[in-house]
Amino acid sequence: MTSEPTPAAPREGRLQPRRSLAVCALIGAAVMAAVDEIVFHQVLHWHHFYDRSTPGIALLSDGLLHTGELLALVAGFFLFADLRRRNTLAPAHARAGFFLGLGGFQLFDGVVDHKLLRLHQIRYGVDVTPYDWGWNLAGLVFLLVGISLTVHATRHAPDGTART
Amino acid sequence: MTLPHGHSGTGEFGAALAAAVTLAALAYLAAAARLRRRGDIWPPLRDASFTVGGATLVYAVNAPLPGGPFTAHMTRHLIVAMTAPLLLVLARPLTLTLRSLSPGPTRGTLLAVAHSRPATWLLFPPLAAVLDLGGLWLLHGTRLLATTHHEPLLDAATHTHVLAAGSLFTFSVCQLDPVRRRWSLAVRGTTLLAAGTAHAVLAKSLYATPPPGTAFTAADLHTGAQLMYYGGDLVEAALAAVLAAQWYSATGRAHRRRGVRTPASERATHGPTRRATP
Repeated sequence: MTSEPTPAAPREGRLQPRRSLAVCALIGAAVMAAVDEIVFHQVLHWHHFYDRSTPGIALLSDGLLHTGELLALVAGFFLFADLRRRNTLAPAHARAGFFLGLGGFQLFDGVVDHKLLRLHQIRYGVDVTPYDWGWNLAGLVFLLVGISLTVHATRHAPDGTART
Repeated sequence: MTLPHGHSGTGEFGAALAAAVTLAALAYLAAAARLRRRGDIWPPLRDASFTVGGATLVYAVNAPLPGGPFTAHMTRHLIVAMTAPLLLVLARPLTLTLRSLSPGPTRGTLLAVAHSRPATWLLFPPLAAVLDLGGLWLLHGTRLLATTHHEPLLDAATHTHVLAAGSLFTFSVCQLDPVRRRWSLAVRGTTLLAAGTAHAVLAKSLYATPPPGTAFTAADLHTGAQLMYYGGDLVEAALAAVLAAQWYSATGRAHRRRGVRTPASERATHGPTRRATP
């Protein structure tokens, strides 16, 4: 730390696995939110744009979440570009983070938005149970893939960087 | 069916705005050209941004816009309050004015105003957001919108406020021009998040409940509200990109200053005097 000069780092620096994972999780969550918005609202028209029975607090949380997703997508893109620019992106952790984000958002949406806040349902005028199961199980699968990728990436971390 | 309450063009106000915008655009282009002749770098994209911003503004206020009356009103709102201010602010008009004016009383006064205490207060991003979004809520939550249809003077005043507040908000969030107080990215980003939330909530409320005293059809109301929601998204994403690009270039400069040992020093708490010897 004092006398020993650090081995002259080449152009690329040490990988930043934890930051790579976090940034890609942010992007994954925002991408899933965008998919949700585009597929279910715009393409399938399953969701109502606004459900008249929506209470004020749910409307507020929906607006906050929606704007947050939008800003997260933009911020995630620039954070990712910064990792690339400095050559500190850890690809395996980045992939893992992306899946964690996808699954995490989907489960959050399925459990908190659909069930706890009852902000909106997946589809109206039909029995919603199979849709809920499908949505939440798909989210769980993404999350499990993310977790296994994280474990794999951490075990096989290049040059044995201890700090994941 | 189309021109409802005679609200499509706003008459004398529209003409006055067109004249003012044309003069401002000519002055901008002349100043930018003078700067370039002098040898300064002034990207042509800024000239384009200012011109396009001014042109869309004039168009939105004067031309009949497509769709039902509420949809047309929302299109106008999106342009006057959000898109045009963004394009005008991205052109950095204050920077250009200060650079092109030679030292003298005019420049001194402008600088004094820009750095004055009231201006500094107005440019506090949360306050600018309250002025902008507060006006928006007032317009759509009270009988104000219905009243403006019969009162041309009030209509002109509303448009002026919408344009001024939108520009103030965009100016304070983007913070591209030299002002006295600089606000952190966190303050400006949080303000943008809050303002975007208020905008989204209002759009969804309007979908279900029209502004008091108005009689828009449900289809018109739904189209207009969704236009407000998704159109607002686009402008908010653009504003976020401006902030993110500022962060990106600032960190880029920081990386370069730190020289070779870039990434490791991110978290390491090293003394400021340590020097990198390659």
